[in-house]
Amino acid sequence: MIFARWSGLAGIAQRHGVFVVFIALVALMVATTSTFGTYQNLSNVLSQNSIIGIIACGMTFAIILGGFDLSVGSMTALASVVGATLMIELGTPGIPVGILGAVAACLLVGMTNGWLIAYLGVNPFVATLGTMTVVRGLIYVATNASPRFGVPYSFTTLGLGRILGVPNPAILFLIVALLLGFVLHRTRFGHYVYAVGGNSAASAQMGVNTARVRFAVYVLVSLCAAVSGIILVGQTASATPQAALGYELTAIAAVIVGGAPLGGGRGRMTGTIVGVFLLGVVANGLNLFGVSPFWQPVATGLILIAAVAFDGYSKRAVVAS
Amino acid sequence: MTESSAESPDALLRIDRINKSFGAVVALKDVTLHIPRGQITGLVGDNGAGKSTLIKIISGVLKPDSGAIEFAGKRADFGSPAEAREQGIETVYQDLALAGNLTVWANLYLGREVTVGPKFLHILDKRAMLANAGRMLGRFVKNAPPIDGPVEMLSGGQRQVVAIARAGAWGTKLILMDEPTAALGVAETKAVEDVIFELKRHGLTILVISHNLDQIFRITDGVWVMRRGRIIGYREKASTHPDEIVSMITGAAASTGTVA
Repeated sequence: MIFARWSGLAGIAQRHGVFVVFIALVALMVATTSTFGTYQNLSNVLSQNSIIGIIACGMTFAIILGGFDLSVGSMTALASVVGATLMIELGTPGIPVGILGAVAACLLVGMTNGWLIAYLGVNPFVATLGTMTVVRGLIYVATNASPRFGVPYSFTTLGLGRILGVPNPAILFLIVALLLGFVLHRTRFGHYVYAVGGNSAASAQMGVNTARVRFAVYVLVSLCAAVSGIILVGQTASATPQAALGYELTAIAAVIVGGAPLGGGRGRMTGTIVGVFLLGVVANGLNLFGVSPFWQPVATGLILIAAVAFDGYSKRAVVAS
Repeated sequence: MTESSAESPDALLRIDRINKSFGAVVALKDVTLHIPRGQITGLVGDNGAGKSTLIKIISGVLKPDSGAIEFAGKRADFGSPAEAREQGIETVYQDLALAGNLTVWANLYLGREVTVGPKFLHILDKRAMLANAGRMLGRFVKNAPPIDGPVEMLSGGQRQVVAIARAGAWGTKLILMDEPTAALGVAETKAVEDVIFELKRHGLTILVISHNLDQIFRITDGVWVMRRGRIIGYREKASTHPDEIVSMITGAAASTGTVA
């Protein structure tokens, strides 16, 4: 009785719902369009969703911890502007400097988030809304809101190149997802993210340094945003101050659709990956059917609400059984 | 009426004239007591008598303003709960104890995870913990809940059993319990009390706060009574009666029951 949750239809739907929906969606797309299954389209879907996917991998940690990070979009733009500017100024030899500069800039923001949330006890919404706004503002001030062109063309290998036919951003996404999936599910640090997200007071009681776990998670999120920002430079050989607007909400939506509730303590990396591609395939489908791209946020929002409503419904169903 | 002397040689914990104030409020006044080794000792008193403050001082959460604590023959000056835990003092709290989203084994090992491989990676050795957790629980608990299920699927009594069994593992000498069965039904209270008896059988010393005098008389060997921050006295279970304890708690027997 107690473990009824692990059996029965409600249990299967709850644990695997997003996978089932995703597979059904892909099957539907393959059946109804001639273009979805083509190599060109699939590699587009991979490229387009890898940047959000990498951010979502980091966001998974923040959400399981019971928080989230609204500043990821601003950090992604920051990384691309700092990285592109350094590469433009220094030329091809400056590429490593640009990458390091982008990472350092994001680390600074991530450490600020972590310090505010973990050590000053600022609410994650307030702290990251603040840094999101401040960072975006500073980017506009520093660039006068104009884009940066002239990154060495060789750097586009990162964003536009392929290995064995797979777009490089997708390979980077795969590496980040595998690495962070390992950290989340196999290491003590990942275990503590679940513990703090589940019961912070009990974790502290048992000697877990909850502040350090929180701090590290927000730093990790900032590193993911840095990687995404660098890939963005590699896709366009330029940087725009308006880049990655709204990415924070798409990433949060993908994680939640993937089965990690905002309350924390739950979620898996595989769920996040499926969540990212579920939203991505829907956007792609709308595109293939010639629907205006303005409908895409509508679809994302509806999927988010449906996923959360279904999760709540199936939980109540389990409690009732 | 025999009063066990406060000079009993076989005490695991001795507290000598401890004082603690919060601003103008005196929480503990010249508290002197000892906890006999290997016994279950009760601590009773009305709300505000100072029981929880005393427990917090023993467990390292609070520091006394003055006075001395001796634990296992050594002077104890715990700066934090972690230090007290290192010395073998565990506390079972009413509700903070477990992370509901984690499995039973993960809660048993929370903060003490077994890791393998390169040191800096801290890769969890889930297999080892899973295998050991069963034994850890089985030592004190007869009908142990499934160790690889999440704690949130357990009843309140099962959770408390897990929390108490965890406190008893890890080389613990003294367990402090604050109202361990406050929110539990009759059958669940019985299950928790059985675990407390098992801890005693394994040689652990237990100090339990309870408002339930029936329970105090059921499980303890002796009881300390506090009132308004002071120790009123110690009574061995065999030589007292609930009526006497009640009168000590309320102050009706203040003139006759003082040993401190």
